[in-house]
Amino acid sequence: MLSRVAESLFWMSRYFERAENTARFLDVNFNLLLDLNSITSVDHPNYWKPLIMVMADPEHYNSLYQEYDAHSVTDYLVFNRQNSSSILSSISMARENARSIIESISSEMWEQLNNLYHFLQSVSPQQVHSDPYSFYKEIKNASHLFQGITDNTFSHNEGWAFVQIGKYLERADNAARLIDVKYHMLTPRTARHSDLVSGSVDIIQWMAVLKSCSALEAFRKVYLSKIDPDNILSFLILDRSFPRSITFSICAAQEALWRISGSSQHRYANNVDRLIGKMEAEMSYTTVEEILQQGVRPFLEEIEQGLAKIGEQLHLLYFAYHTPKIEPADVAEALPFTGLDGRRANWSQSQQQQQ
Amino acid sequence: MTRLFDHYNPQSERFFDEVIARDGAQRSHYEIMMQRFNQFSSADIRARRELVNIFFRNQGITFTVYGVDEGIERIFPFDLIPRIIPASEWAVIERGLIQRITALNEFLTDIYHKQQILRDKVVPAELVLGSKHFRREFIGVRPPLGIYIHVTGSDLIRDAEGRYLVLEDNLRTPSGVSYMLQNRIAMKRAFPVLFDRYTVRPVENYPQQLLRTLQEISPTPKSNPKVVVLTPGVYNSAYFEHSFLAQQMGVQLTEGRDLVVNNNKVYTRTTRGLQIVDVIYRRVDDEFIDPLVFRPDSVLGVAGLINAYRKGNVTLANAIGTGVADDKVIYSFVPDIIRYYLNEEPILDNVETWLASNPKHMKHILENLDKLVVKAANESGGYGMLVGPESTPEQREAFAEKIVENPRNYIAQPTISLSRHPSFFNDTELAPCHIDLRPYVLHGKSISIVPGGLTRVALKRGSLVVNSSQGGGSKDTWVIDN
Repeated sequence: MLSRVAESLFWMSRYFERAENTARFLDVNFNLLLDLNSITSVDHPNYWKPLIMVMADPEHYNSLYQEYDAHSVTDYLVFNRQNSSSILSSISMARENARSIIESISSEMWEQLNNLYHFLQSVSPQQVHSDPYSFYKEIKNASHLFQGITDNTFSHNEGWAFVQIGKYLERADNAARLIDVKYHMLTPRTARHSDLVSGSVDIIQWMAVLKSCSALEAFRKVYLSKIDPDNILSFLILDRSFPRSITFSICAAQEALWRISGSSQHRYANNVDRLIGKMEAEMSYTTVEEILQQGVRPFLEEIEQGLAKIGEQLHLLYFAYHTPKIEPADVAEALPFTGLDGRRANWSQSQQQQQ
Repeated sequence: MTRLFDHYNPQSERFFDEVIARDGAQRSHYEIMMQRFNQFSSADIRARRELVNIFFRNQGITFTVYGVDEGIERIFPFDLIPRIIPASEWAVIERGLIQRITALNEFLTDIYHKQQILRDKVVPAELVLGSKHFRREFIGVRPPLGIYIHVTGSDLIRDAEGRYLVLEDNLRTPSGVSYMLQNRIAMKRAFPVLFDRYTVRPVENYPQQLLRTLQEISPTPKSNPKVVVLTPGVYNSAYFEHSFLAQQMGVQLTEGRDLVVNNNKVYTRTTRGLQIVDVIYRRVDDEFIDPLVFRPDSVLGVAGLINAYRKGNVTLANAIGTGVADDKVIYSFVPDIIRYYLNEEPILDNVETWLASNPKHMKHILENLDKLVVKAANESGGYGMLVGPESTPEQREAFAEKIVENPRNYIAQPTISLSRHPSFFNDTELAPCHIDLRPYVLHGKSISIVPGGLTRVALKRGSLVVNSSQGGGSKDTWVIDN
């Protein structure tokens, strides 16, 4: 498979997953506010700022908006094209990646992605504000449909494996960020974690975190109604069967990587497999007590960094097939597509007239 | 109920009508088609048009218009009335094109080797050597099987008497063949009944023929030479066609950055390392194809590709430097080129052409600017031309200056009489619209022409410009057995 095609499949999938996660965060935040609006104002920055901290660059946000309120944050995370991880930007980039490999994916996949793109183009911010539930549901469903279509219409070979890797690395990363920020917000630095259980506001917030991962029902089946931070951490980070937990995502990414390289449990063929195997072992044999001992923040940061490293190695190994001696002088110009919008090539590609 | 063809009245002395003869009689090969269409109500037509529109939209068959911000994607308009060519006419076209391509290939071989035709002064040397598309880097390089032009899309028109004339030889990277294939599919979906009554020669195996041609020109004989399509990328206006052809042939669609040259061999970068490439069907122009040899600012090309090609390790289709033979100035010499190499009279004539570089012709051009079509020698796609009768005095003046400044770059032709064909202006009304024909010629071990081609139609009332970038559309084109 061409490296460029593999890379575009990876990023198409990754951007789509990112859009879904952003929709989940926002959806849950709106729901949360409905639960809390007897206690505090809907536009209280405490409820909106964390979203920017999880999913974007607060400095960039501050340069564009004055306040952390529902309107501005939604606008920034859903519609703003200057925010490269807004839902609209993510779906545009997923579509651009798909468009560049349209002959390699199934036409149903393209159609679904294209439909969502045109849907997003047609929605106004006003519609989202008046009915956020339907809007975010549409995005989530579109993503699930896309994954179902991919599983059922796209050959399960190397290309499909790259789609899986993109999806699960992004999901693990998003889960880690979400837990990181929520944990940070909900744990007063002075208090011991066991004190938290008492505050009902906190419990509602933790439930919201679970909901944003579609995890509340699955969680209840395991822990009944014991909604305390330790159980929640254990579930969202370490559960091996819930498809949005970090450990599940890492295992799934590992499996897809093995499909490509032929590695197995006891033998790794390359650096990517080594890194993900190491991470998987770490997740398999650690306990929530150990995480708490180490500190949730440092633990999650380690995961985020580990995932970034896996991404880098994946790029070097499969996408930027590296042959230093024979590269043109400016490798930087010639190599990376990095699944972005390709603006660099836009001008010269359209220079050519048609006969 | 009025029938569709009742009001079709093409009366004109200047133009040949494809369907109705000058005496008002129907041409026999169109009779059944007209009968069928006369049975359709306007609601039928609307329903079928809708069917076709959905088909094209779902396939993503679009092209990009230049000169507009952001490059807008449009659906290429498709006209429901098919163009029909009887086998007897087609046989002439076929022989004529084979003759022409054979001679042009001889010409390219000659000017890149001995240059005998220049010594014999049949074609002025300065016109060849001074052509923008002449590649002196390729003098002495012999492509596999001695073939330069593997894929051609010649533009044919018909004069007032219905004679087929060659308007342009497109010898570099002719486009449009995907529309030919898609038009046929759309037509079969919309009007399956029509196909019952005619024996329409199939065009569907074009991708297989193209692949076979490309494999035949592999630099080293192999059981399964690796062929790739090279596209400028997703922002190119013909990107749909590139990806479509790659998909239909079952080969990889590559961009410049997917290829790498090592030790004068070309490889694809894959997730499993480098894999050797034998033949590149390139849809990237010469100027952009290798930044080390041509435009250094090109990011579409592959550094080192030209050296690999010169070493004979990879074949490019079409070869580098074919543009010199479809230069609009050289075009006027093609009949002489045919006589020179083949000792035959041309089967298909040229359109009468004046060269601004010839002082006598220049005088004629400047005196008759309001009657002539003036074209820049090296532009394509309907860009850089002046249609005399439709121009304003200011436009003519501006063009005259350009011609005097750079005579080598301009030619003029009479406002040619493109033939006309009934086409839909709306769901109920037919009007005579100007058409041309672009058959596709493949040259591997032998020369083959897919029966039919792309008929382009000028859907603006009275317009003579059929290019998709200038408001043209297309028709399905049938070659039928008599």
